[in-house]
Amino acid sequence: MNKLLNRSLRVFIIYSAIVLLASVPVYYLIVDFIWRHEIKEHNRIEAAAVKQNLQTLEQRGTSMEAALTLWNQLHPASALTEVAETRPDSTYNIYRKNKYLPKKGYDRYEGLVTWFSINGKNYRFAVETNMEESYETIPALGFVTGLFFVILIAGLIYLNKRISVRLWQPFYDTIQRLQSFDLQQHQPVHFPTADIEEFNTLNLSLDKLIRSNQAVYQQQKEFTQNASHELQTPLAIIRFKLDLLYQSPDLTLEQSALIDQAYEALSRVSRLNKNLLLLAKIENSQFPDKEDIQLKPLLEEKLQELQDFFTDKSQQVHTQIDAGICLHTNITLMDILLNNLLLNAIRYSDAGSEIHITATPEVLIVANPGKEALLTENLFQRFGTVTPDYQGTGLGLAIIRQICLANGWEAGYNYHNGYHHFIISLKL
Amino acid sequence: MKLLIIEDEIQLAQSIMNYLTDDGYKCEFASNFTQAIQKIHSYEYDCILLDLMLPGGDGLALLDELKAQQKQDGVIIISAKDAYEDRIKGLEHGADDYLVKPFHLPELAARIFSVIRRRKFNNSNILKLNELTLDLLAKTVQVNQQSVPLTKKEFELLVYFIGNRNRVVSKNALAEHLSGDIAGMLEDHNFIYAHIKNLKKKLHEAGCGPYLKTVYGTGYIWQS
Repeated sequence: MNKLLNRSLRVFIIYSAIVLLASVPVYYLIVDFIWRHEIKEHNRIEAAAVKQNLQTLEQRGTSMEAALTLWNQLHPASALTEVAETRPDSTYNIYRKNKYLPKKGYDRYEGLVTWFSINGKNYRFAVETNMEESYETIPALGFVTGLFFVILIAGLIYLNKRISVRLWQPFYDTIQRLQSFDLQQHQPVHFPTADIEEFNTLNLSLDKLIRSNQAVYQQQKEFTQNASHELQTPLAIIRFKLDLLYQSPDLTLEQSALIDQAYEALSRVSRLNKNLLLLAKIENSQFPDKEDIQLKPLLEEKLQELQDFFTDKSQQVHTQIDAGICLHTNITLMDILLNNLLLNAIRYSDAGSEIHITATPEVLIVANPGKEALLTENLFQRFGTVTPDYQGTGLGLAIIRQICLANGWEAGYNYHNGYHHFIISLKL
Repeated sequence: MKLLIIEDEIQLAQSIMNYLTDDGYKCEFASNFTQAIQKIHSYEYDCILLDLMLPGGDGLALLDELKAQQKQDGVIIISAKDAYEDRIKGLEHGADDYLVKPFHLPELAARIFSVIRRRKFNNSNILKLNELTLDLLAKTVQVNQQSVPLTKKEFELLVYFIGNRNRVVSKNALAEHLSGDIAGMLEDHNFIYAHIKNLKKKLHEAGCGPYLKTVYGTGYIWQS
């Protein structure tokens, strides 16, 4: 994943690289132009000086021929010759091997050919001045540009970091607060006030969103809690009336069967009610007390309590529980977790089947045989239907998941070799 | 035996009174805190059934009042609050037992029976019923002075039946009594049959009369 600032930085770097790269030929052309201009001027000045000196020589009556020979011998870069007629001045620019220092390879020359006459005699004066070669200028410019590019990039990266630390700090703060936010822990989120309008708007909008979510969540939870609490009394009344009805002396077999069926439905509703209340309480973090619990003795005690049910369905329990597994958790919740896991296994496996319980410091697995895999999608959801013939309240696994959440564990499920495996990962 | 039912829900109180009245229990009723205080001040009860959330005050304050007056009445809290802390608090304030709504009336009757036995017969926990002799403390049973070895569950069942004698007890209530909350989570309670069959057989072999009877195949009754 790219960081926001790195992305813009990359664009900046690419852009400055292009600009600096493009600047190299431009610099070259400008420098070259100035060079040539200056050298042309230099050549003209030299030509003018030569012309003037020649005139002075002429006036003194010095032998022109001897002067020309001397000049040409002393100034190999220029040639002063007598010619038949004058022509317009011209300049040229060539690469040529240096006659005197051939090892240096090709040199570049700016040349001026000027024609003038002194006392009716026509002269041609050619002067050449060595100038910087392009293959020397361009690398030099390239090197300097590269150096500045590096300085520029270093500066950009440094500034970018400074900016991200200072300017974007509120933004990263907001992200961090959002990451650590948990709706269930009903703690308000305080976003820092930033002096940048966009961040403030963002924080305000997030704050509003979270507050309304929290309010809805709280309302729902309170509703569940109040509703299930208020249900207790009518449920108790119905149960008492059924208990009384059972005492009627002339109850027929049909009537007593009817009462039993009503009992069954009633205990299902009571159970549902109890579980909803329990879920609301777990989500509300109403089980804060934690203590160190040894898993092995607790599991063995649970299995002993459930012995009746195992015997009833002639189910065999195979355990492989490491000794010394110590969990820091709430005893009530742990009790419920084990109850739900084990009862699940008893309920959803056939009579005479084998149930396997494995516990290591990392994981607790309860495995029971089953014909086909359960729909894992909403397995641990409230009222999540996993099999068509589901008879439970649909809350057992949701409670397991909530207890795991409260302890920082994870509830998982898989199916292989004809066994359902309910897996509690104790170390994440 | 005198009972006081402190419960603001009249329907509940009436049902409890109906269920318990015909068994030698004399029931009185208070529907709010003030009434309850008056009754507690004026009379002695063998057992008080106390709802914690009362109009006019907290039920726990009544427990403190009883303690302050050094009354010896047994108290069973009947409450919708099922949190572990609530139970602990109730028992710490001096209640003898704590029952969470919605419970079965036979369960309540069995608990009242136990509380009264514990309170009234402190020195001897021996209960005699025709040829049966129960030691509630040692959890042993004798039929005609011959001891009958019962399992823990069978003994619990026997006390439960005696606490509800002459009343029909449903299998549902029995299952809940034997395995608490867990029972409600499983549909069939066949294991009850096994325990009752064994209990009947053991009592019968020891020469005890056929007091325990099956009613319509769905419930049981102890008639003596």
